[in-house]
Amino acid sequence: MTETETIKLSDYATAKGFCLTSAFWMMAATFMGLLGATELIAPAVTENIGGLVFGRVRPTHVNLVLFGFATPGLLAATFYFFPRVLQTRLYSEKLGVFTVIAWNIMLVCTVATLLSGNTQAREYAEMIWPVDILVVLAFALIVFNFFMTVQRRTEPLIYVSIWYACAAAVLTMLTYALGNVIWRPDGGALTGIPDAILLWFYGHNIFGLLLTPLSIGVAYYVVPKAIRAPLYSHTLSLLGFWALIVVYTHIGTHHLLQVPVPTWLKVVAIVDSIAMVIPVMAFLINIWYTARGKLGAIHADIGAKFVFTGTIMYFFVSIQGSMMALPQVQRVTHFNNWVVGHAHIGVLGFSGMIALGGLYYVLPRMTGKPLFSRFLADFQYWLILIGVVGFTVILTIAGLIQGNAWLNGETVYRVLPEIHLYYVIRAALGVLIFVSAVLGFYNIARTMFMPERGAG
Amino acid sequence: MYFPYFATYMAVGIALAIAAFVWALKNGQFTDQQRARFLPLEDDAGAGEVKRSRMGRLEILALGFLACAGLAASAAVLVFALVSF
Ligand code: HEM
Repeated sequence: MTETETIKLSDYATAKGFCLTSAFWMMAATFMGLLGATELIAPAVTENIGGLVFGRVRPTHVNLVLFGFATPGLLAATFYFFPRVLQTRLYSEKLGVFTVIAWNIMLVCTVATLLSGNTQAREYAEMIWPVDILVVLAFALIVFNFFMTVQRRTEPLIYVSIWYACAAAVLTMLTYALGNVIWRPDGGALTGIPDAILLWFYGHNIFGLLLTPLSIGVAYYVVPKAIRAPLYSHTLSLLGFWALIVVYTHIGTHHLLQVPVPTWLKVVAIVDSIAMVIPVMAFLINIWYTARGKLGAIHADIGAKFVFTGTIMYFFVSIQGSMMALPQVQRVTHFNNWVVGHAHIGVLGFSGMIALGGLYYVLPRMTGKPLFSRFLADFQYWLILIGVVGFTVILTIAGLIQGNAWLNGETVYRVLPEIHLYYVIRAALGVLIFVSAVLGFYNIARTMFMPERGAG
Repeated sequence: MYFPYFATYMAVGIALAIAAFVWALKNGQFTDQQRARFLPLEDDAGAGEVKRSRMGRLEILALGFLACAGLAASAAVLVFALVSF
């Protein structure tokens, strides 16, 4: 019996748990986004409902997207391939399941605290101290499980996806603790400019050192598997990995170019934002060359289709990001909907797509049953694709109107009616994404809980 | 004064990264890269690929209704916006 054969289907409890977590919370997260978008069109809609004012809905939306949908989705695929590529078992499936439970408790606490107005009021770091501790603990458990599994591996070589997954877990555990200033439980913040620098160090790392490496790791696994061909170059993939570690870790200050932070920090941030082209292109060239001439196989597998689309989105978001880090460009694009457009290509178009792709790829393999409905998954794909491309176009236009108006010294009340239409279209696109989340949850839940062998 | 803390933090980060890199180098992680390319392929899980949907009639109706309702809601919002603009 080979090592891989000893990995039984029952072994994937952790991955399955994260699968369901992601699918369920995607509904909640996108609903909150839709609610927020509606409030931007009709602010009076939730006028007398304190818990649902925009200021509470928005942080609930972003935190749920980050920690409820994208991260668990990526972790689901990661917990599936981690032991497989290392040719061993996961160190502790029990610990993994415990992590999933703790993770969901953390998410419930997040919603309850944020909607009841308990917040630390720092962007992406809104969660209060007890919830912060839960997040750090969850990541500590993941790190432990990952490292112990690596130690017990029978395959001496560590595949690039494992490097990415381990880096994401370790770096997020550290930057989350640091960026949320967890040694100051009541405020969760430093004061003044140092706090802004620390916050954005964390804020960007949550995308750059959590979502990005997990997504890249999943793509590096799913694409070669789906097309049944080796990776174009493992050396290039490692180069990309180390370049990301060197470059991505300190570009947070590009969020603060128009703030009086020390110039050297801005210079580091800008130079490294441009240098991001290296890890980004190392990954993209590698994955696209791997898939070259085999797009048919990508298209045939719904998981790979999501993942591959995510890599294309990664190209757009990264090139756009490097441009946005230039002060001249940011004079127009900062503080308006342009950035929101960028955020959605990144988090939904890139990480979200890859998270869903990972889920759809591993789900039939770990349950041993075919996907409940390929049609539904395809339908979800198109809803999301239309939604995210639409978001990008609409929010970019709205952002340019706002940015130019600001540069020209126009007052806000004259600009708001000009962008109203775009806000309405944005909400309409949000409906598509929310519906897609409901369909996705149904499909995933049915696949998991369907009786063993059905017809077809 | 917060620079010393940031500088220390960055230094620790770099030190950890270098340590990991050196470990990888000594451990032979950068050798045998040709074989490494094939690692994901070594575990061939026979996955049940789905060929066709296995949805019942009621399910198709309910999900179709949900999807149409979503699309209709989006269209209605758009029409409303265009008319009232
Ligand atoms: C080379 C890669 C990237 C670079 C150089 C980059 C650069 C930037 C810059 C300069 C901003 C600040 C814009 C401003 O406030 O004016 C920004 C914002 C943002 N980026 Fe990126 N980006 C990159 C990739 C990504 C990826 C892959 C994601 C998601 C996974 C992402 C998510 C976000 C989000 C959510 C924001 C909004 C932050 C806020 O709320 O203000 N970015 N990015």
